[in-house]
Amino acid sequence: MLPILSLVLVTLLVGTVATFLAGARARWVALGVSAVFLAEVGTLFAQYPGWPGYVNGVPGFADGQSVPWIHLGWLQVNYTVGVDGISLIFILLTAILQVATVVYSWGEERRPAAYFGLVLLTCLGCFGVFVALDILLFFLFWEAVLVPMFFLIGYWGGPRRRYAALKFFVYTHVASIVMLVGLLALAFYSGAASFDFSAVYAAAPTLSPVVQAFLFLSLFFGFGVKFPIVPFHTWLPDAHVEAPTGGSVLLAGLLLKLGGYGLIRWAVEVLPEGLAHVRPILFFVAFLSIGWGSVVSLAQRDLKRMVAFSSINHMGIVLLAIALGSSLGLLAAVLLMFAHGIVSGLLFMTAGSVHHTFGSRDIPAIGGITPTTPALSTMIMVGSLASLGLPALIGFPAEFTALLATWNGLGYWVMIPLGILVVTASFYLWMMQRMLFGPARGVPAEAHDVPWYEGAGMGLLVALTVLFGVLPGLLVNVIVSSPIKGFPGT
Amino acid sequence: MGALNGLFGYAFLVPLLMVASFAIVGLAGGRLKRLEWGGWVAVAFSGAAMVVGVLISVGEMLSPSSYTNVQYTWLHLPPAPGTFPNGFELVVGTLVDPISALLLLVVTVVGFLVMLYSIGYMHHDRGLPRYYAELSLFLAAMTGLVLANNLLEFFVFWELVGVCSYFLIGFYYEKPSAASAAKEAFLVTRVGDVMFLLGIFLYFSTYAQAGPAGGWAANGFVFVHGAQPFVPVGTGNGTTLTIAGILILGGAAGKSAQFPLHVWLPDAMEGPTTVSALIHAATMVAAGVYLLAVTSLFLGFTATDSLVIVAIGGFTAFFAATMAVVHPDIKRVIAYSTISQLGYMVLAIGAGFAMVGLYHLFTHAFFKALLFLAAGSVIHAVGTQNLFQMGGLKKRMRLTAAAFAIGGLALAGIPPFAGFWSKDDILAAVFSQLGSHPAYWPFFLLAFAGVFLTAYYIFRAWFLAFSGPTTRDPTLPEAHEGPWVMQVPLVVLSGFAVVAGLFVFLPGFPGLLLNGAGVAGIPPHYGTTELLLSGASVGLAAAGIGLAWFLWGNGRVFVLPESSPAQPVCRLLLARYHFKEAYDWVGLRAVYTVARAADFVDQYVIDGTVHGFERAFAAISDRLRRIQSGIVSDYAAYVVAGLLLVFVLLLLVAPWIVARLGGS
Amino acid sequence: MTSLPIVGFVALSAGLLAIGLFGVLTRRNLILILISVEIAMNAAILNFVYFAGFLGGAPALRGQSIAVVLVGFAATEVAVGLAIVLALHRVRGTINVAETSELRE
Repeated sequence: MLPILSLVLVTLLVGTVATFLAGARARWVALGVSAVFLAEVGTLFAQYPGWPGYVNGVPGFADGQSVPWIHLGWLQVNYTVGVDGISLIFILLTAILQVATVVYSWGEERRPAAYFGLVLLTCLGCFGVFVALDILLFFLFWEAVLVPMFFLIGYWGGPRRRYAALKFFVYTHVASIVMLVGLLALAFYSGAASFDFSAVYAAAPTLSPVVQAFLFLSLFFGFGVKFPIVPFHTWLPDAHVEAPTGGSVLLAGLLLKLGGYGLIRWAVEVLPEGLAHVRPILFFVAFLSIGWGSVVSLAQRDLKRMVAFSSINHMGIVLLAIALGSSLGLLAAVLLMFAHGIVSGLLFMTAGSVHHTFGSRDIPAIGGITPTTPALSTMIMVGSLASLGLPALIGFPAEFTALLATWNGLGYWVMIPLGILVVTASFYLWMMQRMLFGPARGVPAEAHDVPWYEGAGMGLLVALTVLFGVLPGLLVNVIVSSPIKGFPGT
Repeated sequence: MGALNGLFGYAFLVPLLMVASFAIVGLAGGRLKRLEWGGWVAVAFSGAAMVVGVLISVGEMLSPSSYTNVQYTWLHLPPAPGTFPNGFELVVGTLVDPISALLLLVVTVVGFLVMLYSIGYMHHDRGLPRYYAELSLFLAAMTGLVLANNLLEFFVFWELVGVCSYFLIGFYYEKPSAASAAKEAFLVTRVGDVMFLLGIFLYFSTYAQAGPAGGWAANGFVFVHGAQPFVPVGTGNGTTLTIAGILILGGAAGKSAQFPLHVWLPDAMEGPTTVSALIHAATMVAAGVYLLAVTSLFLGFTATDSLVIVAIGGFTAFFAATMAVVHPDIKRVIAYSTISQLGYMVLAIGAGFAMVGLYHLFTHAFFKALLFLAAGSVIHAVGTQNLFQMGGLKKRMRLTAAAFAIGGLALAGIPPFAGFWSKDDILAAVFSQLGSHPAYWPFFLLAFAGVFLTAYYIFRAWFLAFSGPTTRDPTLPEAHEGPWVMQVPLVVLSGFAVVAGLFVFLPGFPGLLLNGAGVAGIPPHYGTTELLLSGASVGLAAAGIGLAWFLWGNGRVFVLPESSPAQPVCRLLLARYHFKEAYDWVGLRAVYTVARAADFVDQYVIDGTVHGFERAFAAISDRLRRIQSGIVSDYAAYVVAGLLLVFVLLLLVAPWIVARLGGS
Repeated sequence: MTSLPIVGFVALSAGLLAIGLFGVLTRRNLILILISVEIAMNAAILNFVYFAGFLGGAPALRGQSIAVVLVGFAATEVAVGLAIVLALHRVRGTINVAETSELRE
């Protein structure tokens, strides 16, 4: 069988280099690479029912490949990749967002080769994070994501791009270091004598609960800043506001998911007992993020900043679902992250288009844009409604599962996220009332609806929002077709 | 018998037809100028849906109490400790049973008629493809809701009809008031929806392992037809079930605009009148009542729940009617009347007569849609909704005046019009419970008093609009009847408003209400008590009509004197008891202020701390920089000092730590 | 030779190291610093030679070879170091380290 994961990595690597060198034709190269990427991911999906379960108590990963990389005495670093249901969902998200971003950014005029190359490089890093099953390989990809994003914000960004890029880089890098310490401690303390996921997974339960709890906390901090969790979230609004649209889409759609994925794969699955000990802390942080993100969104004037804070709210629900410590919770978290990746990508694209069309993203300054830009308004409506959890759109199955899992695990505490749903609905509806409806305000005479490529990029995401909203089973069946690790039998 | 039962498995065709209509009109409506921008497409599809709907309900009449469930797995979810140890499935499907057939009949018939009426009524508006697409989507969602076979699917369609309502209320989105009303409707019902969702969770987890064949969870949480299928697990669940029932009531109150979530419905009149007739009178707002009926049939309410439901229903029936008494806007008068009538239905369900409530829902859908369409005909003709500008319209609009009068008589409960039978049935049913539930007394009396107000306000509206010599505002355009597409629905609905109440006495029709064996109150039984009660309520209604004629008949306009002690009451009623102001205050002032404060904290306290770290590090590094003198000897000294430090650590500190830890 | 106590030899190289370090830290003349470094380095070379003799056998061989290599190192180091000193003198006209602090910039 073809080692598809390695094939994808090679595709993206070669594609990125080719894009950097392609000059004016970079967008075509990038689109071709994205199409191949999507096709390869589709092939992976086609194989999903035949996945291995546990082998001797250690989870089996599909399409696994392991090649010795650095072997120095006790230091055994391998190039190990593999997917299970959870990572496959994230890979799919990566492929979708890459295609959508490339199409949406078709009109980029400033150094297109570098722009598209960096977009591809970001996706390459994210893909690597989602498939790496070796601690050092994982960390390599993890850090590799920061660099292209730093340049995307720092060169193509808004007026305060330098500040935002640096803040983003320093903040997440500090967290990465804490995370690396946790990961290394995990590998060495557990006696796994290897950086391999399966070895760590098998060895970690022997650790004492207190050690597990501390390891979990260090990993949680590292991954949590990427989530981001309140109060370590202030890099996010600045980065989003300053980033170019494509950068925002990848930032919200993929980079935040790295935190969630990392927490599931390297902390929750490996250290379920550690999770059990620190759950109250996670719940507190999750409730704080849910409430804070939603309430602060209500006060925002900048459309992008509003969506950024709503991301904090949504990722808070993800954290809540993860912290529940049940298979249902993990399923809900993965679904939520997929949904949020698609929907926030869509919303940031609409925010970018609003900015291109009307020269501003200030919600009170713009009004009644629907007659001028009906297509863009429709996209904003779909995105907002999906984000506030309307059924038949992708947000609903995810939120429903998460809330059901919360009810099952926490009882009446579920009233906090449920109540916040009303606030979430209110800031989206209020934004729509002010920006889309009412008499026209701040609409330039020459304004016209979005260009075809922006419409196509957003249209793709709208279509997927509806498709997966009506048929969430397409995702759920993939996730549950391989064993959900960490809580077998719950 | 049962020749049409084969159709039951294809009930999904009804929503599917409307989805097809939505897709066609939504995508190609802009190019269908000759088909009224897709309007005729929507009419054709809703006509086809009506045919299927009517056939299904006729089939259900022919074979009473049969039911057909078709379902597919929507989500297969993994286990969760405690409640769902084996994982569970969520399904989607269609359940054709007597009450869903009844609702299907109402929704498809009224839907088709309103769609037809829209061709004439909406002709001069812009954005017609959007209108017909959204209305088609609404009908798809509404029929889906009616056919839903489990609570989750119910909730899905419940939200979808909500969002269609949002878009249709905001159809004239350039008007700030319409945009605001749409948002208000969505948010207020959202509060109810959140309660509904929590109620679903409570029921799911309570009954997951109870019920037939391995638990309700194993059954996909599908409504199990027949008697209450579930045995509460253990004794501690009484409280949980009570809370669940209250939460379901909360959801129903949001959708059916019951007190205290009633504020959105009058404002929803910003939408086109056709939308008000279909969504905000006949179908969507009745979904809350349907939810309560379904819940009471399949899951049951506890005694506490019943009392709360009776209280909310009875109180709303009276409370909403008082506001209708003074309002100058023809549509809002009817809107308050809708809230009030929904209150009667809720009252009946709370008292344990779900079928009687649905009976009133059935008749109400027709006469209330009739009233709205007649009002729409008036608005279409004179271009205003203000009753005090109208007058004397009956000369030029005989059909409309007659239709409005028929609707009014049905609403007021004058025999033999439709409303009389069902409303009296409700009063009789609740009355029969008063002996065993004395706590119902005040709410029964409120509902009874509501009969008088109902008759008064609807005929006040009729007299103001239609009687008298001429219009009060001479600038109004010359009134005229609408085109035939508007007249046909008025005639058909008038027919229903006259006879729909009598259907229940026909053989077969009660099959849509009788749930298997006979249900108390269907068809109404007329003993001495009931006849006395009927006599009293008809007398009250007649008195209400008489008062309306006395004050407003023949073009009279009754002005309350400034010195009248009733003035403050009147102002309070016109201000709608200040509920809207209170909610606006909570939303705009309280919550928004909190949000602004939180935003301030976010920017200056949390991010300020981050910047504090930044500055601290900058200051420290500025100090440390001075060590870099550039002189080689200094660096050599640092090297030596560092070496000494390593020695100290290795030789002195490390052994001490090892000794403290007990190592060797 | 084996009869001599190892402590004396170690003390001797420790003394050499101390002299070398003292020179590095106190002198300002670059040539003197270079000489001091050489003295300190000789202490290390001496240590290798002592212990080679002290242990005997295979370690001795290893120790002696390292000592020889280090002598070579010292020679190259002096060559490079003096070349730098010459170049510095030519450019700056001084070999006082206190006056050359370009590293700072």
